[in-house]
Amino acid sequence: METRAVRLRHSLVTAWTLAAIVFIYIPTICIILASLTASRYFQFPIARWGLDWWQKTLNSIEIRQLLSTSITIALCVTVIAVTLAFFGALAFARYDWKGRSLYQKIILLPIFFPQSVLGLALLLWFNTLGLPLSWKTAVFAHLVWIVPVVTLVISIQVYSFDPALEEAAFDLGASRLQVLREVTLPVLFPGLFSGSLFAFLLSWGNFPLSLYTTGADTTVPEYLYAKMVAGYTPGVPVLGTISTIGAIVLLLGGYALITALRRTRASE
Amino acid sequence: MTAASPILSLQAVQKMFGPHAAVDSIDLDIAEGEFFTIVGPSGSGKTTLLRMLAGMDQPTSGNILLRGQYINNLPANKRPTCMVFQSLALFPHRTVGQNIEFPLKIRGEDPAKRKARALQLMDLLRLPQNYYSKNVMKCSGGERQRVALARALAYDPQILFFDEPLSAIDYKLRKTLEKELKDIHRETKKTFVYITHSLEEAMVMSDRIGVMRAGKLVQVGTPHEIYSSPNTRFVSEFVGDVNVIPVSLGSKNLLKSGLAPKGLKPPRVPEGFENGHLVIRPEYLRFLAKAGDADNALTGRLYNEYALGSRIQYQVRVGDTVFVVEKLRQQPFTGKLDDDVIIGWDAKDAILVTD
Repeated sequence: METRAVRLRHSLVTAWTLAAIVFIYIPTICIILASLTASRYFQFPIARWGLDWWQKTLNSIEIRQLLSTSITIALCVTVIAVTLAFFGALAFARYDWKGRSLYQKIILLPIFFPQSVLGLALLLWFNTLGLPLSWKTAVFAHLVWIVPVVTLVISIQVYSFDPALEEAAFDLGASRLQVLREVTLPVLFPGLFSGSLFAFLLSWGNFPLSLYTTGADTTVPEYLYAKMVAGYTPGVPVLGTISTIGAIVLLLGGYALITALRRTRASE
Repeated sequence: MTAASPILSLQAVQKMFGPHAAVDSIDLDIAEGEFFTIVGPSGSGKTTLLRMLAGMDQPTSGNILLRGQYINNLPANKRPTCMVFQSLALFPHRTVGQNIEFPLKIRGEDPAKRKARALQLMDLLRLPQNYYSKNVMKCSGGERQRVALARALAYDPQILFFDEPLSAIDYKLRKTLEKELKDIHRETKKTFVYITHSLEEAMVMSDRIGVMRAGKLVQVGTPHEIYSSPNTRFVSEFVGDVNVIPVSLGSKNLLKSGLAPKGLKPPRVPEGFENGHLVIRPEYLRFLAKAGDADNALTGRLYNEYALGSRIQYQVRVGDTVFVVEKLRQQPFTGKLDDDVIIGWDAKDAILVTD
């Protein structure tokens, strides 16, 4: 009797979970399906299947240019954001200093500022300062929004960091630089790593800031938007799929790396 | 115990935090090879003092001398001293072996030598050799303690500092580790400076103890001296239970107290004594058959008893004053709760303190 009730509950839970997953993934799956059409226009259900648009997209010099611009921006943002956010997180969570609580609030403000407004504000500033717009100004724009996020991500790791670790290393003869290299950075590594994943993915997928600040350069989200507004081809879902798969590979790869690292650390 | 030339000398060492002196003008010599414990309640400045000795903080004024060398401004990584932290501060991303080898790696010693030394230290501290490649976070509390000590010893310091490393460990294991630490002290012959808030812990391990209160060193002495001749009420109350009676000096060299109208026979009375407290340890109080069996006697009611293992402790109420009496289990006693009892002590067994 009881086992039947338990079984019923289990099947309900399973059904509910599956339903939730399906709802979450339907849009992504639809995009993949839409990319597999052989026709010029978007039709549903798909009349003729084919990989023509995949071939066209992958061979397109324009698309390669887009991907390379997006990757360049994302990589630059990752490196700069993690470096700044690392020290920012130390100030946020490690050291007790006058004005820290004000700093903790101010650093988070850009996250809550609407990105489209922030993009416009940055555009105005770049114009005022006479800076030519390109992917470089976009890097700067992304940083304004992403550095606070990454600071927060790394801070979580820093909060659980025992300052006595640094003192102990110093006491055992290490120089300040050795303390940083041998203790602080390795202990905070998981936080730095998830921070860089965040930085890369947030920059990779960012549209509103790029829209205002890339100038003549175009990123993947900008291109997708432009094509959606005017001139749709099944190349849009193809590029969308590529972008999604790229993000998934990065996330799973990162997850696998962290797990492998934990396992080596925990092994015996 | 104090040798001719101390390894560590403090001269009027002071540390100010704003207008507040956390450490207030401390003079102290610590002898080579000594196990010296600084004990005091939290906020007494003992951690601040230790951090200055280890080089993590600098005194506001005064001198710290290591073998006669002025070291006030010598940073911790240049000092031939090493600290075992309260949190132990073991590197969580390293194995037991890597933790112990850390100071040797920093010094640039070659890996084979490092490993040999680490294994040697693990042997000294009774850590199994196969722990060498064990994750340090998977060790038990007692094992971590030993790893932290091994790491500090690997540095080969002239003085080892301990910042209450046993405070987070359960009672039974702590007792074992206290004795082990004293054994290690004997084996390594190094100078140990230990801080704790537990005078009991200090008693077990130390050659000498310094008691701190509100930034000042109130008494320095051997465990025996601290226990049997505390110089203040504060020190007397710091270890175990103690009976304290407010008294003043009356006529015929007797002590006046509200408890005994006839007056109490004092121990040796310090020069110029007028008011103060009479301190009697519970084991010096005993149950009497009749009032004349000891120099001083009081009548009270047996209120409660507590079994402490080898000893039994009794609570006796004399008027509103609570007395603690202790006797060994094997000593005969037939008193029952709520009986009227006579307790007494000999004059020489009490201590007169002025505050």
